[in-house]
Amino acid sequence: MRRESFRKAGFLLSMFWLLLCIFPLWWVLVTAFKPPLAVSGGATYLPFWDFQPSLHAFRDAFSGIRGDFWGPISSSIFISIVSTGLAVLLGSMAAYALIRFKFSIHLLAGLLFAVLAIGGFVVMTEMWNIRVPYALLVVLFVALPVSVWANGRNLPGPVLGNDDVTFWFVSQRMFPPIVSAFALFLLYAETGKAGFRLLDTFGGMVLAYTAFGLPFAVWLMRDFFESVPVEVEEAAMVDDIGRMRIFAQIVLPMSLPGLIATSMVVLAFIWNEFLFALLLTSSRWQTLPILLAGQNSSRGDEWWAISVATLISIIPMILVATFLGRMMRSGMLSGSIK
Amino acid sequence: MNDRVKHIFIWPAFLLVLVITLFPLIYALTVSFQTVRIVPPTPARFVGFDNYADILANARFWGAIATTATIVIISVLAQYAIGFSVALALHHNVPGASLFRVTFLLPMFLAPVCVALIAKMIFHPVLGPANELFSMFGLENLPFLTDPNFAIAVLIAIETWQWTPFVVLLMLAGLQNLPAEVFEAARVDNISAWRRFRDITFPMLLPLSAAVIFIRLIEGFKIIDTVFILTGGGPGTSTETLTLFAYNEGFKKFNIGMTSALSFLFLIVVIVFGTLYLAGARKLTQRYAQ
Repeated sequence: MRRESFRKAGFLLSMFWLLLCIFPLWWVLVTAFKPPLAVSGGATYLPFWDFQPSLHAFRDAFSGIRGDFWGPISSSIFISIVSTGLAVLLGSMAAYALIRFKFSIHLLAGLLFAVLAIGGFVVMTEMWNIRVPYALLVVLFVALPVSVWANGRNLPGPVLGNDDVTFWFVSQRMFPPIVSAFALFLLYAETGKAGFRLLDTFGGMVLAYTAFGLPFAVWLMRDFFESVPVEVEEAAMVDDIGRMRIFAQIVLPMSLPGLIATSMVVLAFIWNEFLFALLLTSSRWQTLPILLAGQNSSRGDEWWAISVATLISIIPMILVATFLGRMMRSGMLSGSIK
Repeated sequence: MNDRVKHIFIWPAFLLVLVITLFPLIYALTVSFQTVRIVPPTPARFVGFDNYADILANARFWGAIATTATIVIISVLAQYAIGFSVALALHHNVPGASLFRVTFLLPMFLAPVCVALIAKMIFHPVLGPANELFSMFGLENLPFLTDPNFAIAVLIAIETWQWTPFVVLLMLAGLQNLPAEVFEAARVDNISAWRRFRDITFPMLLPLSAAVIFIRLIEGFKIIDTVFILTGGGPGTSTETLTLFAYNEGFKKFNIGMTSALSFLFLIVVIVFGTLYLAGARKLTQRYAQ
């Protein structure tokens, strides 16, 4: 009897939560079809019952009389697809390397890099007045090789392994993004002054978002690659097939469900991202979330217009979430969440 | 050896993260010790820790920390309580569980900007459905977004709405990975459902719970989009979060040195909260493990 009452409580809770989840989505869906009177007269919920639905908001939005909609939509699509592709590709490669090979990095070599990079940067920009992007390039081409060389020597002190490298990737996500977004804005502004425009460009956004999505990709793909049996690869190596081909033609196809799931998660994060887009774009490459934020300030009371814009951003994500939910139920991702 | 190929695999990702995330940080770190303004443009001047001292003396900074911490701590606790309960219900296959599994995920895939826009309609003091609901209890035209306490409550509700699915997802996965034999044995011994939860399920899921809450705390501290849309930090600066404060400081006053210093202080705040939390969580887990 106790058992039954627990089940009932659980059912009620789930129903209640389901209602709470669905209601805002229902609200934005019907509001997109509301004529102005159905908004200003108080809350209305059911089309044909409460109000006569009309398509005027959609016509307004897509005919472009209310500002450019297609621009932000297409930049959002291009930027998120290209960056997702790049992030998942580079992330998978790194994850594969972290699973199959052994890395050892001397802590001392890492510290050497930090000291050389920060010290060299300060000296170059403050004392010699070298422009920031050039100083960073010099740091990259001097401090990095020196540290890599030092890592090959027999240094004393602790040695970091694969798990630490993974943690290094994932820890990029633990920073408050305003720290890196603002820093990136400063850097992009400086490269712009040096004649190489990155602010408000496709390339600049893709670079930022690829780096933004990489930690997820590394973290998720590592779990998927772990379940690929190593024997298949060993057999291929006996046949003298190169690592690159093994990776591209055996490992990647074998972890296709994981690849799809990871892409979807990364895509969702990039599609919804607000802060980087707010700082790094100004007009040409503005993304959908920025358009939405702008709608809020300029047309706050025109709920039908806001709802149409919101729906455009939401619908692809509803498809992604449904698809992921189905994948999960069929057990394809069972091993991935640990 | 064949091992050389590993460098081809890892270097592109490593270089990208280094150049895009870490190099800007080095630059921002040096800027944070200078006064630099874009408007009006003034030459950079080294000022030592002045920027940091200014911020620490600024009441707005401490206000932003208090606001952010309030929103994050309350909403994460709510997310955990609701999320864990819903996960338990789903795990025990309440009627309709298979339908829920898809719909439960939805909120966390929506852009926070969209969620905030929808919330702005729903919590409209006159025309919104929330007003209609509260009017039924005789509370008409509550100042949902214009009174500081109400606004913070609304922000907490939104955060909870959006991120509870994340807790459900992970706790459900954790529940499904628990060994079934233990529960069989408990059932044979006729131990009540509540005791089974308190003595078996909850302690076994404690490490996972600690991890889930940690992820949500860290992510929660980044909140800006919802606040930006919903209240813009107002009324006054009463709902300003740390990220929003940093943004306002940098892009309305164009005081770059200050904003850089602020974002590093923000990093320190997150590290402090994170470390405190981890220490507390470890203690709790150990106590239960004994």
